Amino acid sequence: MSPRAAWRLESLGFGEVYDYVDGKVDWMAAGLPTEGTNAGRPRAGDAARKDVPTAGLKERLGDVRDRIRAMGWDAVVVVNEERVVLGLLRSKELDGDADLHIEQAMRPGPSTFRPYVSIKEMATFMVEHKLESAPVTTSDGRLVGLLLQQDAIRLAGEK
Amino acid sequence: MTARSSTPPTPTKNVPTEIDRERLQALVARGAQLVEVLPAEEYEEDHLPAAVSLPLRHVDKEATTLLDRNRPVIVYCWDTA
Amino acid sequence: MKNKTKTLVKCVRCGTPIESCAFCDEPGCRTPTCYECVSTVLVQAKRQPHTHGG
Repeated sequence: MSPRAAWRLESLGFGEVYDYVDGKVDWMAAGLPTEGTNAGRPRAGDAARKDVPTAGLKERLGDVRDRIRAMGWDAVVVVNEERVVLGLLRSKELDGDADLHIEQAMRPGPSTFRPYVSIKEMATFMVEHKLESAPVTTSDGRLVGLLLQQDAIRLAGEK
Repeated sequence: MTARSSTPPTPTKNVPTEIDRERLQALVARGAQLVEVLPAEEYEEDHLPAAVSLPLRHVDKEATTLLDRNRPVIVYCWDTA
Repeated sequence: MKNKTKTLVKCVRCGTPIESCAFCDEPGCRTPTCYECVSTVLVQAKRQPHTHGG
C-alpha cells in the first residue's frame, strides 16, 4: 500500500515523499510505543520480566545455577555482549552436570516472541503448550525480558 | 548523418525515497508529516506516534487538504509483504 | 552409513509436516504448530490488513 500512496502523492505535487517500507510491524517489533486503542492493552513486552538473569556461553553451569537460584529464579537466558539471545536454560537444563559450560547445557536457538504480541494470545499458547516461560526479543534478537506463563495468564485475565 | 531523435528528454522525476526507522525518526523530528495509509480501523488500533490517517483509497480526495505540500511526507503501512 | 530418518509430526492447524513445534520446540508437544501458523495467530491479533490489498 505505501509504495502506491507514495507515488500518488508525488503525482499530486508533493515534492518530498518518503516510504517507510518496513512499516508498523518493524516499529512495533523494535519495542517502540504506539498510539491507539490497542496501545493500552498489555502485550508480551509489557509483561516480560526485564530482570531475568542472563549468562554467557563460557560460564560454568554450576556457578550460574547457584547464582540464579539464590535470586529465586529457575530459568536463565543466554546472551552475548550485545544482549542477543543465544539460548535458554530452564530447570531441566539447569539440573545438568555442574562442570558443563553454559553453551553445552543450554537449549540453543529457542523460540522467541516480539514485544507487540498480544498477551491474550501468548497466554493461550503458553497454556496449550505447557510453556513455563518464553523469551521476548526485539526484531534484531536482543533480549527484552522473559515472559512467564503465570504473568501472561494474570494479565490476560485482567480487564 | 545521424538522425536527431525527436523524443524530448525525460524530465527528472522525484522518486519516493525508501527509508528506515532511524531516518523516519530524524525526519519527523525535523517536521515531516507522518501518514498511515492503512484502513482507518487499523489506524485506530495502533499507529505510530503523531501519525495521521489517510487510507490509500482516500489519498486522491484528501491528501491536498489534509497534508501540507511544502513539508516532507512519510507514508507507511503494515510491512513489506 | 546409516541415514537418520527424522520423525515428522503434523501441524495441528494446517497439517504441514514439521520436525517440532515452532512455539515450544518440545519433542512431545501434543499440539505441534508450524512457524507459519504460530506467526499468523500471534500477528493476527493485530488483524492482517492485506485482505485489502498490499
